[in-house]
Amino acid sequence: MSELANLPWNLIMPLIVLQFILMIVALVDVIRHKRTNGPFIMWIFIIVLGNLVGSILYFIFGRRQE
Amino acid sequence: MNGLTVLVQKEWREHTRNFKMLWIPLVFIIFGIMEPVTNHFLPEIMKSVGNMPEGAEFLWPELKGEEIFLSLLGQYQTIGILVIILAFMGTISGERKNGTATLLYVRPMSFLNYFLSKWIVVNGIVLGSVWLGFMAAWYYIEILFNHVDAGEIVAFVATYSLWLVFVVTVVLALSAWLPTGGAAGLAILITLVYQVIDSLIGTYWTVSPWKLSVYASYWFKADSELTNLWMSSGLTVILIVILIVFGVVMSKRNAAKTTV
Repeated sequence: MSELANLPWNLIMPLIVLQFILMIVALVDVIRHKRTNGPFIMWIFIIVLGNLVGSILYFIFGRRQE
Repeated sequence: MNGLTVLVQKEWREHTRNFKMLWIPLVFIIFGIMEPVTNHFLPEIMKSVGNMPEGAEFLWPELKGEEIFLSLLGQYQTIGILVIILAFMGTISGERKNGTATLLYVRPMSFLNYFLSKWIVVNGIVLGSVWLGFMAAWYYIEILFNHVDAGEIVAFVATYSLWLVFVVTVVLALSAWLPTGGAAGLAILITLVYQVIDSLIGTYWTVSPWKLSVYASYWFKADSELTNLWMSSGLTVILIVILIVFGVVMSKRNAAKTTV
């Protein structure tokens, strides 16, 4: 655990926060609209597990443009 | 000009509602932060997870701030451009397909304004995102690496921005001409695949838009020959104008193809 404390969290924090914002926006959008290409449960898993790439994939391919 | 303002507002609202205004800048900023941070901590990352044998010593090259900017540009050249193409491939063709175009085309609107409104808003999003990304990278490079001259960075980003405007124009013009899938495929061929070909055979052909990303790095070297850069910039501007005309003509010709 001492290695975790040595990490420069003040440098990495913005990165984590931005990824988190992206993930939350994608999740809120999936849950509100539920209109996705393919089952929306699958997209929730992709967004949560896929991190940055998962959210990008959702916005490009998963979101159905109405 | 009034018609143009209305159409720009329409585009702006559309891209806010489909979150492109939010996620594209975020993606570019995340890449901009990731590049300096991972490069700075690479030796430590390798030590803890790299599975290196006991007592192994590696000499890591001393990276300079300028080199981080260049490696970030490399990231934007591949992943960034792919994101731009995939995000905006359906800008015009998608509208034809889902019927929004029908609502627009029945109104007295000039196709020049129609195309320009899209061009302005998409360029705004793309350039804004890339600038924010480079600014984030700049902040981290100042902290983790060395000081880079601000004038050099501005010139570097400006040169690269011209190439991005070219990419956006290619994507939009193709989207006006072909269905979404074809537009994406051809845009990837023109911007990404041709770049590889250009780097292989283009040694003697020094004036081309595809060389702009290479020439952008010349600003970091003290006394570089800049004639080719200016010639390429001029050629790129001319090509952009031609592509806009092409896009306007094509969106007019394909107006009949929209779903009613």
